Amino acid sequence: MASSSTTPLTPTQVLLKSATIVSQGAEAKVYKAYLRHHGLGKTAISTRTGTGDVSDVQNNESSGSELDVAPVLIKYRFPKQYRHPSLDGSLTRARVAGEARALLRCLRSGVQVPGIRFVDATEGVLGIEWIDGKSVRMLLPGGAEAEDDEGVGPGDDEQVDEAEDEADEVDPLVEFGVSRDQLMSMIGTEIAKMHQADIIHGDLTTSNMMLRRETGDLALIDFGLAYHSTLTEDKAVDLYVLERAFGSTHPDSEPMFSSVLEAYQKYMGKDWNVVKKRLEDVRLRGRKRSMVG
Amino acid sequence: MPGRHRKTSPLKNPSKAYLAFGLEGSANKLGAGVVKHDKDGSTTVLSNVRHTYITPPGEGFLPRDTAKHHKEWALKVIQDAVEKASTTIEQLDCICYTKGPGMGAPLQSVALVARTLSLLYDKPLVGVNHCVGHIEMGRLITGAQNPVVLYVSGGNTQVIAYSRQRYRIFGETLDIAVGNCLDRFARVINLSNDPSPGYNIEQEAKKGKRMVQLPYTTKGMDVSLSGILTSVEAYTMDKRFKPDAVAAEVNDEDIITPADLCFSLQETIFAMLVEITERAMAHIGSKEVLVVGGVGCNERLQDMMGIMANERGGQVFATDERFCIDNGIMIAQAGLLSYRMGQETPLSESTCTQRFRTDEVHVAWRL
Repeated sequence: MASSSTTPLTPTQVLLKSATIVSQGAEAKVYKAYLRHHGLGKTAISTRTGTGDVSDVQNNESSGSELDVAPVLIKYRFPKQYRHPSLDGSLTRARVAGEARALLRCLRSGVQVPGIRFVDATEGVLGIEWIDGKSVRMLLPGGAEAEDDEGVGPGDDEQVDEAEDEADEVDPLVEFGVSRDQLMSMIGTEIAKMHQADIIHGDLTTSNMMLRRETGDLALIDFGLAYHSTLTEDKAVDLYVLERAFGSTHPDSEPMFSSVLEAYQKYMGKDWNVVKKRLEDVRLRGRKRSMVG
Repeated sequence: MPGRHRKTSPLKNPSKAYLAFGLEGSANKLGAGVVKHDKDGSTTVLSNVRHTYITPPGEGFLPRDTAKHHKEWALKVIQDAVEKASTTIEQLDCICYTKGPGMGAPLQSVALVARTLSLLYDKPLVGVNHCVGHIEMGRLITGAQNPVVLYVSGGNTQVIAYSRQRYRIFGETLDIAVGNCLDRFARVINLSNDPSPGYNIEQEAKKGKRMVQLPYTTKGMDVSLSGILTSVEAYTMDKRFKPDAVAAEVNDEDIITPADLCFSLQETIFAMLVEITERAMAHIGSKEVLVVGGVGCNERLQDMMGIMANERGGQVFATDERFCIDNGIMIAQAGLLSYRMGQETPLSESTCTQRFRTDEVHVAWRL
């Protein structure tokens, strides 16, 4: 990377400049970059200037390996202009640090999550392992509809149903050598492992789970809202958030959630009963069932 | 998608012009209005009349008194709405009323009026979900096609997106509604309820500068607000709190004025709302956002939402107080849409209910 700018940049900023944007999520921009020092003479750092086409980046995966460096995923919590600066600053710092902490705890407890590469909380940057694979949301019916090029969101998915009913429709899960049941059970088990480590994910959705292309393993991602808690309440709410996400993203797939719970129950053992009881409470609460004025 | 073809809208252009009368009274606003659907598919708002039950500062509105207010004003408001629309009740095609959700007593009094009108003039009744009314009104006024909807009012806080003939709730409050939180804080610091406590909080917040720390409680796409209310109330017990100080005139860093609290409360709550809306947009890949409901006419919220939408290359749609705050035409609009799809509420079923979720309604008129 021929550095033409004269203002001194922090190493994190240098890395960000060299990185390729992959997507803009809800709260952060996600980049792909290579941790290779820019002083090494080689133009090692990727110079692609893509504008966020995920598939493009994933297909170009090989260009990373030819450099013989594993890519990293950079999660950059850019300043939110709509938020008051002091609120934004403290939220960003707390979230980057919290995410790193939660990931670390998960890693130590053997939960399948991306590994940590580096942390810069003041810049709002977290570098983690790049997972090659696909989001679980895209692998389940109803989840891919937002990719519709018409950009109309989930509005007209009636036809999707018909398409899925056709026999020649290929189940995207085949590519990973995993059945839907296995996938659900992996989801339940990973969440249970995480909860046994007293980590609450805080934003469990099918978008926040990936299947690794190589191993077919499930990895939980995006610990942006994760925190540490031993409370049954928090674990129940965590499960409840996922139940809601299943319901709203994969409208016909609500029974799938029960197989998630089954696997969860198996791993949790005797701890399941309290969570189960609390989950029932949480479901009744918060106007989820009946909305009052 | 393979084998995919675009269907035409299930709602056909009408063979004649339709006139619908809408009656709303689920909270402290009594609204009536007439809406017209023309043969060319266009929609016109012919009248929009509203009367608000305003309580003294420090007091909220109680169900019984609110119902009484609605009963007292019903005839006047209905007459006004019909006259302003330069029509007569005889010419109407249907009478639409709020079936729920809302406060029981006011809902009942308005449903009673609707039933009476229906019997007197032999007009069909259409019961309407209040939230769907808000969404349809917002879509009509702004022309937003398929937005993520943030519905924020005194009784509801929901992030909604349309899918398969339902308005699905992606996120909502786990305890109290945004408007409720703001209104109750207005009561604590004794702000006037005229024209609305939320409006006065907004004006007060413009004078605030100091950001006090409040909990920031998002859970996935849901929010929790009751703890924030408790926390901001606690600041009024703080030694630094000066209820009479005018923020702009005092530069002493170590005091807290009511304006500061309003400012901090708005900044924190709205940041949370914008965040969950953004989360929903990212989740379903939509670029449009529509803000409806009484709190939706708060300009600071609209601004923040606009900035967020801009950052995402999207667009925000919002309406002003005429259509944001509860009104009769939104009921007429949503009611007429379902009436044209053949939905009617027979007299024996013309009840109302305090609990009526947005996603219970079959949205037959959309693709």
